[in-house]
Amino acid sequence: MERKAKAFMFGYGKSSSFVAKQLSYESLHLSLILSTQEAYDQAYADGYVDVKKIDMTDDSELEKLEVGEEDYLICVLEDKHLNVFLTLSLHALFPKTMIIALSDSMHTTQKLKMAGAKRIIDLYQVSANRLHNILHKPVTTQLVDRLLSPSEDFSFKEMTIPQNSIIDKVMVDTFDFTQHHVIMVGMIDNRLSKKFIFVTSGVENRFDSGDTIVCIGYNTDLEKFEAYINEVKR
Amino acid sequence: MLKKLLIQFAFFLHESKHYNRIKEISHNFLLNSDYKYKKYFDIFMILLIVSSIAILVYEVKHSVTNWIDFFDLYVVTLIFTLEYVARVWVHNSWSKEVIKEHAEANFLGKEFSLLAPTKRVFKEKFFYLLTPSAIIDLLAILPAYRPLRVLRIFVLFRVFKLLRYTKSIHQFMEVLSTKKFELFTLLFLLLFIVTTAGIAIYVFEEKFNPHINSLFDAFYWALITISTVGYGDISPVTVEGRVVSMLVIIAGIAMISFVTSVIVSSFSEKLDELKENRLVEETNKHEDFMIICGYGQMTRMFLRQYHQTYKNRYIIIDNNKKKIDEAIKEGYRAIVEDASRHDVIAKFNVSYANITLLALTGSDVANIYIILNAKALSSKIKVITRASNDNIAKKCKLAGADHVVRPNVVANKMLLTAITQPVMYRAIYAILTGQHLAQLDEVLVREHQKLIGISILDINFKSFKLLSLGIQNEKGEFMFNPSLDYIIKKGDTLLLMGRKVSISYFKSSYAKVSYGA
Repeated sequence: MERKAKAFMFGYGKSSSFVAKQLSYESLHLSLILSTQEAYDQAYADGYVDVKKIDMTDDSELEKLEVGEEDYLICVLEDKHLNVFLTLSLHALFPKTMIIALSDSMHTTQKLKMAGAKRIIDLYQVSANRLHNILHKPVTTQLVDRLLSPSEDFSFKEMTIPQNSIIDKVMVDTFDFTQHHVIMVGMIDNRLSKKFIFVTSGVENRFDSGDTIVCIGYNTDLEKFEAYINEVKR
Repeated sequence: MLKKLLIQFAFFLHESKHYNRIKEISHNFLLNSDYKYKKYFDIFMILLIVSSIAILVYEVKHSVTNWIDFFDLYVVTLIFTLEYVARVWVHNSWSKEVIKEHAEANFLGKEFSLLAPTKRVFKEKFFYLLTPSAIIDLLAILPAYRPLRVLRIFVLFRVFKLLRYTKSIHQFMEVLSTKKFELFTLLFLLLFIVTTAGIAIYVFEEKFNPHINSLFDAFYWALITISTVGYGDISPVTVEGRVVSMLVIIAGIAMISFVTSVIVSSFSEKLDELKENRLVEETNKHEDFMIICGYGQMTRMFLRQYHQTYKNRYIIIDNNKKKIDEAIKEGYRAIVEDASRHDVIAKFNVSYANITLLALTGSDVANIYIILNAKALSSKIKVITRASNDNIAKKCKLAGADHVVRPNVVANKMLLTAITQPVMYRAIYAILTGQHLAQLDEVLVREHQKLIGISILDINFKSFKLLSLGIQNEKGEFMFNPSLDYIIKKGDTLLLMGRKVSISYFKSSYAKVSYGA
């Protein structure tokens, strides 16, 4: 039986509890790894079952976690020194596993990058950009807010093109998205590379089965479009 | 009867839009340093003063033409007189005082006395007339009175008038005024030594020194010696006189070093303040600028990314000197002040400029106080703040913040997306961090632009390698993915996504203003 991807979240503070809550709604298995009794008790009180208390500076304890290559390691410790140390330890122990870390300064971001984090979310870089957008791009700000708000009927959607899809082998340039009322932002064209390519980058892409596309639109239109690409070619 | 007429006249003045407008303009030109046209008035006055001094000095040895004489005698003097009268006029308001007093009397049911407010107003005006600057203004008018040549000496007061209009001299005087006590003490000491030494030399030398014939000669010698100038026209001839000379010279050296150290220390104490005031004044010259309160991580990141966009149109305020020193070291415009203080924000041109205030200190409490402070000064100030949680965000909105940024919310959303939708993460991250390969930009359609009247289909965004995500019309309604036959109108804002170069190319091709067709 195929093993389900697991998310190991290191740390459970005021801010990260929100992430834990949202992740628990996803199909991922969430495991909370904590170092203090206080955080451990809080996580239990909040209803989490898979909670472990370990010494994060001890590699032997980290090794016991049974981390797979397809899993996610989320470093959100409030102590930024320990967070960088943990990232480094995890990268040394599980080099192929995706490490995602939260940073609160550009210096920490740099250190986390050097320590091996693949995705670093810099609290202030994102906020600084938002400040600039509020000042100079109010329409952009509204759109981004709508896209990020779970309550809106408008969002991004990631879709994988199935085998024999109706759009299989179709050139992106020739495909008319207007009739589906969605906008394709970019895709991973496996034929060219594993990297995400923006539709505005000028590269000639082709839809093939296994490619992943990202679209923006109203949720109903996105669902209809996903159903459309799932249709089999006759 | 007269009383009634005067009250009616006060009400007439108070309600007269024309009168109040003239008074406001006069006040702005004479006293409001935030008024954007005041600098032109100041320059005009400086030129007038300089030209008048030049004429008066030239006149000493040369004869001047009639028109120059007319200019100096009538034009300059008339303007100086008008300025003097206007300053007295705008100093306070008689009508306002009368009405205030009248309203109070009505409210309390007591008899209204016209004399009390009139007396108060004129007393205030009289005290104003006794201030050094008002006296200088009055004396500067006097050289125009030609029959009395001695009045020409008052040309010096025209030079003093420059004090009003030249900021650096004004600041110099302000700095000196902070050391008033020390300087007056030294002045009294100087007077004491000059008097004592003068009397001593007079007593010792009056009979033996042919140059000392009066007490005035003795005081003159004492002052010239103590100042270390020593012309040598009078020198002591007796041993006693020379001993007095030596003592006066030693006292003189000590006093000069003392005065120098007092002035230097007052300048070094005030230097930071002077620099900061200059920075505030420079910021106030812009029609729109930004006040950033707090120099923390968020401000650093914001300026690191957008410093070039805002150039000199911003100022950082933080009450932590260490942080401000760091900001200055980084090359940013920063001052040590407490942004939650009313007078600090009031220093900025809140009445005329479009100010955006960013409350970005690390404390939610301080941010809320800053918001309230700014909004209490002017509701026109646009306030954007950061908040650590939902409750604080609500409070910030209640306090009047126009926008609230919550760093954790955006970052958490990103974190979630990175796990649950990793492909989409790159798109969102690039858009949110404004990376050059996927910038979101807005194009506001202005009058006469080539874009007006053409459809989305005609533009062919694909050829520019751009994505048109939506359009917001003049009413603020946002249309996501508008149909191809949508005709672009004036006031629409196009929301585009693409590389920076594509957006720039599109703007240069379509957003240009065309008056032809």
